[in-house]
Amino acid sequence: MSMLASYLTLAAVLFCIGLYGVLTKRNAVVVLLCIELMLGAVNLNLIAFAKYGVVPSLAGQIFSLFAITVAAAEAAVGIAVLIVLYRSRATVNVDEYDRLGR
Amino acid sequence: MRTVFSQYAWLAPLFPLAAFVVLTELNRSLKRTGAFIAIVASLASLALSLLIAFERIGTGAEDYSGGFAWLTIGSVTLSAGFEVTNLTALMLVIVSLVAFLVNLYSLGYMRDDERKSVFYAYLSLFACSMLGLVLADNLLLLYIGWELVGVCSFLLIGFWFHKPEARAAAKKAFIVTRVGDLGLLIAILLLFRYMPGHALDFVSLHNVFDSQAGVISTSITTAIALLLFLGAVGKSGQFPLHVWLPDAMEGPTPVSALIHAATMVAAGVFLVARTYDIFEASAVALDTVAYIGAFTALLAATAALKQNDIKRVLAYSTVSQLGYMMLALGSGSWTAAVFHLFTHAFFKALLFLGAGNVIHALHTQDLRQMGGLGRRMKTTAWTFGAGVLALSGVPPLAGFWSKDAVLAAAFERHPLLFAAGIVTACFTALYMARLFILAFWGRPRGDAALAARAKEAPAVMTAPLLVLAALSVAAGFVQTPFGSWLGAWLSGEAIPEQAESVPVMAASAAAGLLGLYLGWLLYGKGAPKGGGAGQTRPWPWLVRLIEREYYLNEAYGYLFVKPLQGLGRALRLFDGAVVGGAGRLAAGAVQALGRLNSRLLSGQLQTYGLAAVIAAVVLMLAIAGRRF
Amino acid sequence: MFPFNLNPTGEFFAFFALAVCAITGAVMALSLAKVVHTALSLAFTFVSLAGLFILLGAEFVAFVQVLIYVGAVTILMIFGIMMTKHRDEERERGRPLLETLAAVFCLCLFGILFFAIRSAGFPVPETALPADNTTEIGTLLFTKYAVPFELVSVLLTAAFIGAVALAKREEEPA
Repeated sequence: MSMLASYLTLAAVLFCIGLYGVLTKRNAVVVLLCIELMLGAVNLNLIAFAKYGVVPSLAGQIFSLFAITVAAAEAAVGIAVLIVLYRSRATVNVDEYDRLGR
Repeated sequence: MRTVFSQYAWLAPLFPLAAFVVLTELNRSLKRTGAFIAIVASLASLALSLLIAFERIGTGAEDYSGGFAWLTIGSVTLSAGFEVTNLTALMLVIVSLVAFLVNLYSLGYMRDDERKSVFYAYLSLFACSMLGLVLADNLLLLYIGWELVGVCSFLLIGFWFHKPEARAAAKKAFIVTRVGDLGLLIAILLLFRYMPGHALDFVSLHNVFDSQAGVISTSITTAIALLLFLGAVGKSGQFPLHVWLPDAMEGPTPVSALIHAATMVAAGVFLVARTYDIFEASAVALDTVAYIGAFTALLAATAALKQNDIKRVLAYSTVSQLGYMMLALGSGSWTAAVFHLFTHAFFKALLFLGAGNVIHALHTQDLRQMGGLGRRMKTTAWTFGAGVLALSGVPPLAGFWSKDAVLAAAFERHPLLFAAGIVTACFTALYMARLFILAFWGRPRGDAALAARAKEAPAVMTAPLLVLAALSVAAGFVQTPFGSWLGAWLSGEAIPEQAESVPVMAASAAAGLLGLYLGWLLYGKGAPKGGGAGQTRPWPWLVRLIEREYYLNEAYGYLFVKPLQGLGRALRLFDGAVVGGAGRLAAGAVQALGRLNSRLLSGQLQTYGLAAVIAAVVLMLAIAGRRF
Repeated sequence: MFPFNLNPTGEFFAFFALAVCAITGAVMALSLAKVVHTALSLAFTFVSLAGLFILLGAEFVAFVQVLIYVGAVTILMIFGIMMTKHRDEERERGRPLLETLAAVFCLCLFGILFFAIRSAGFPVPETALPADNTTEIGTLLFTKYAVPFELVSVLLTAAFIGAVALAKREEEPA
């Protein structure tokens, strides 16, 4: 029991650090990286539950595999979008991407 | 006998309507010819009216009506149509004749006016509305015409809208008559509610109230009759709603002649005559009509004594004569009322047009500035004199016969009504004598140079006077106590010779002559050399009371206008503070919210993200927190 | 209130060390000024996470984690960093309100999560994972999870084609 709680707590810590990074960092690359960190924290949860959950099962690991796959796809598309944005706006600062508000 | 022209009676209002449309559309390009279009249209109406009338005279023609279903609402069908009876045929002739003459007259009177074609457009619209009102076969159509003539009256009183008095008078006329119109509307609605089959046409009204007594209870009948009469009071300038009519003289004089003397103001009398079956079914209503009429006649006749504006004298005279008509209606003789309407239309239009000539020559309406015009304006003076005699009831002019018919009816009804009528007749002759003497006799009292240059009006302005003067002299013979042809024709019943009314006749003639003599004594012979003004008189308070028209305007000012203005001010404060405040508050709140939102929605994704996180945390606390 | 029943086993020490590494990497990533340093620091965290996965008996996932996160995503990010210009020298303008609020609410969120974790009673599992779970995963992916697996592969293909198509626009005349 205690191990599961420790893993979950660690995942929560990492998740919150990632969230803080997403919310405060200006650099879009760092924001993307922080999102990856949050996804990693979630994966940690999944795998911890796969071992220490009520019914240990490989489903958790397979889910985390899918999550990693999707995260990779997201990172690829994110970087592509970032490069296109950089070309048009000549900046990677998220706070200058404020077209949405105009 | 089959009627030919009556079938086409609906064309009569359409000629002026066409003229109105053409004049309104081609206002700019028709500076010169516009007037002729209106005159031709009114001539066409006159010709048709005369054909209809002559066709009906002596043939005992059936009433002709035609129309179509206008609106079908559920099981109720409102029809629109026209009906030609002897009464409407007579009214058609009166309206179209006076309208034609006034159109002709205006050619001279309004010659130099900038907006002449607009004036003719309004006149045509008025003729159309009035003829429509007369021809309407049901109350709803009549009401439409009724309101339309009200609008035309408003437009024409305020025709010279650069004068503040004209604007005020137009507003006053519109608002005061509105009180009466509301009564008429309520009466129509009541009839719609209580009439079997919701019928509003005059034939059904006649059937229900004349032969099927008891279908509608007496109290409802009285209410309907009184409300109808309220409409007539507003339109025909009866006490207490007469105050608009003297002010309406701010309009051009031909308008005063047509609308505020001969036709529109007679619409109230026409309405009562048209719905006379309802009034006959209620004794209370008839009494009200009679006493209001008598009181108005007396009140207005005395008020006319001390007016210094030539048109105001005539206006009060109109009010007084309309009171006569109401008196006749209330006394049970609607034929006498219509007869008086018929003769009055001619001599009052004549008097107004004559006054118009005087005003045209002197550019003033103040009697104290006039005098001595008789030598310079012979035609006007002679025709005006004929009008004065006719109005004063000097035998054998038209006014004598019709006034006599009214007085005979009043005599049969109640001695008090008769007495009021006789006194009014005396006062009528008195103020008319004063008017005539001040304007045409003696020496000029005003601007001498202007008076010296005063000359007779052009033929186009005197020709209508001659026609009207001839009618004023001769029109009375259609109904005399010795042969009441008009009454028989109108009512379709033979009226016996009224030999017993000879004393009434004598009294009426005596009253008229006495009034004229008094007038000559006071203003002609006995007047000091300096003119009638400025000398001390007995009972100065009475003179003052009359001069100020019994302070009725002031009384209304304090009774209605001031409280309403106060209410208006209070409501405006309420509107500004509460309604507007609520509006401003709502607007401000939304604006503040919008400003806050636009601050929040800066396009900063991270701000949005933060907001989402905050919301999520708050939600979690709110939902999960409840479990602990 | 929430007693830490620590039994000093080998797994615990390994977990503790790896957790410290992961958190340090994450915190460093946030505090370092240079973007490349941030990326590398996060790579360190990802490696630590892979270690944790091994501790949890998920060797295959740990392998994939290293392969994809450390090998692919981080490298991709570094490519992204290199392809864009960064004004690292320029001191970031502070956004105190945003940062304070973010910090407060992230702490709140952590508090909620921590409270939830601590107050939840996790029953001890009756069974253990199969030791040879890589084989098991392979079997499952091609039997029970075949359809999601194929869907994910389609998604991945679409994402990569999309990424290429997006980034390739440069050649077209503007």
